[in-house]
Amino acid sequence: MLSINNLHASVEEKQIIKGLNLEIKPGEVHAIMGPNGAGKSTLGYVLSGRDGYEVNDGSATLNGKDLLELEVEERAREGLFLAFQYPVEIPGVSNMEFLKESVNALREHRGEEPLTAAEFLKKAKAACKQVQLPLDFLKRGVNEGFSGGEKKRNEIMQMILLEPSLCILDESDSGLDVDALQVVADGVNSQRDGERSFIVVTHYQRLLDYIKPDFVHILADGKIVKSGDASLALEVEKSGYAFLGKAYEESEA
Amino acid sequence: MSQWLSEVIAEGQRQNDWLSGNRQQATAALANVKWPVRRQEAWRFTPLVPVEKRTVSLAGPSEQQSTAPVIDGLEAYSLSFTGNQLSDEQGQVPEGLTFTLFSKADEAQQASIQALLGQVKPSHHLFGQVNDALLTEGVYIHVPANTVIDTPIRLTQLAASAGDQHLRVLVHIEAGAKVSVIEDGFGDADSLNTFVSEYVLEAQAELEHYRFAMYTQQAMHVGSCHFKVAEKAQLTSNIVGYGSVLSRLDVDVEYTGEFANANLNAIYLLAEGELFDLHSTIEHAVPNCTTEENARGIVGDRAKAVFNGRIHIHRDAQKTLAELNNRNLLLSRRAVVNTKPELEIYADDVRCAHGATVAEIEEKALYYLLTRGISRSQALIMLNFGFIQELITQIPNAAVSDWLLHRLRERFVSMEVK
Repeated sequence: MLSINNLHASVEEKQIIKGLNLEIKPGEVHAIMGPNGAGKSTLGYVLSGRDGYEVNDGSATLNGKDLLELEVEERAREGLFLAFQYPVEIPGVSNMEFLKESVNALREHRGEEPLTAAEFLKKAKAACKQVQLPLDFLKRGVNEGFSGGEKKRNEIMQMILLEPSLCILDESDSGLDVDALQVVADGVNSQRDGERSFIVVTHYQRLLDYIKPDFVHILADGKIVKSGDASLALEVEKSGYAFLGKAYEESEA
Repeated sequence: MSQWLSEVIAEGQRQNDWLSGNRQQATAALANVKWPVRRQEAWRFTPLVPVEKRTVSLAGPSEQQSTAPVIDGLEAYSLSFTGNQLSDEQGQVPEGLTFTLFSKADEAQQASIQALLGQVKPSHHLFGQVNDALLTEGVYIHVPANTVIDTPIRLTQLAASAGDQHLRVLVHIEAGAKVSVIEDGFGDADSLNTFVSEYVLEAQAELEHYRFAMYTQQAMHVGSCHFKVAEKAQLTSNIVGYGSVLSRLDVDVEYTGEFANANLNAIYLLAEGELFDLHSTIEHAVPNCTTEENARGIVGDRAKAVFNGRIHIHRDAQKTLAELNNRNLLLSRRAVVNTKPELEIYADDVRCAHGATVAEIEEKALYYLLTRGISRSQALIMLNFGFIQELITQIPNAAVSDWLLHRLRERFVSMEVK
């Protein structure tokens, strides 16, 4: 479903992704770990098409479509979802209006009728409940005044409503206490249906106790340097990234 | 002096009625006025050339639209004025206040009007004096002490092409009384109006005020609202401006007693080629008063917004809290905003803040909406409109808030991002 080959990308002419390869099949959960500055967040931005993130070489296809040729909103409509590490606050645009616009934009793309206000409200309320956000969050400005944990849960709520085929979770665990982590993980696990795939970017093995990965990759200096199963995450937890040796030292420098 | 102003003076001197005394004062002052040119700070960005060329004629009855646009769900006592005359009346005068049309005032009421006229409005406003000299119809509202009026009063000025219009509103709110007044104006006909309102808020009085200057195209508007706010009185004012060939609104607030506060929200939404100029002056003449002023505008292609917000904190006005903020969003490289927040502080124990920003679209917010599949054009609308929607949703009257939201959104959607 997602196929990344020899991807090179730069930000302001600084090379961040340096020949990345990744194959993800339907229903799989891939965790990406790695030291700071390895390019973990950049990967999400590049795949989603953020301005200023330039692809210099390589390819990325989602369900056979060339992602890199599409506009940001078209990638989303093709089933790509990025849960942000730091979701932006947009005062003045209500969460409800925002969610309804996005759900209906995706429905339109699939040739479905837009949801009426009542139909949408029903779905939104259910999703809100699932991630344990009070209903009045729907009325508030997008992420406006939300705590870090509330923002993360709002991202998961969007994921539930938008039903993407590939979800990239960018450090969705950072800044969460154990209870909030459980809510986020439950939200993600509820969406695992054997078809939907996930890239889980995280610093900590802890999240992977809750969201069981099929594969774990270590990203360092813009490349995947090691892949394995869930036990690799435990190894990192135990001994850090020292096994990366030279590559790690360079990225830290 | 311009030809137009000479004609104003002649016309003011010619009128012979119970307001002659007020008219004479005004024409005498106008005779000494230097016609404003761009070198004068108050008119630096707003040329008066379209006024100079006019000939003075007072509008008579008009066949144009004579009823105000309906605000769904608003239960108000509503009067519409077209061509200097009352053209529509809806609802009943709310119980508990006295409501007088200038044209129907008896002698005692005339005396009250004469006593109040020009007492709130600073004398330096040229077009305010034109209104003094030429006004033909007006409304005088008197709310007795400790009377709470639940029904809002709506006063609508409809621009008619028959000639110039000079409507006047005088409102006296006695101690502890409470009232809401909506002043709105519409029209695109080739015309000129000065719509002047004066409010006296006595101690602990509360006023919920609205002024919507929704004139467009050839309808020239040079209006003003003036407030005197006494001890512990509370003023909230919500202003909306569209632009026309010339549209200017002056707002003055003067605190006359301590522990009073004023909350001013202004929105302007200017379509292609329009001009709107908002000048506000807050006089903190006494200690312990609080002002919060927020003005936000969206300026379309080749349109021009002028904002001048002056807060003057006098030497004795210790413990003043004042905040002034002006935010602008430009939809085109050819859109212009001239913004100037002015804090003049002579007291040493005050808390004040001011700021002005002129921005384009925020990239991060736009990207966020795009990653959720929302189209670029729709995202731009959501973000740009969100910027002023925030102020609209704060409006205390729900019916007015809904109506404005719908109306401004419609106007915005028709504007292009270039």
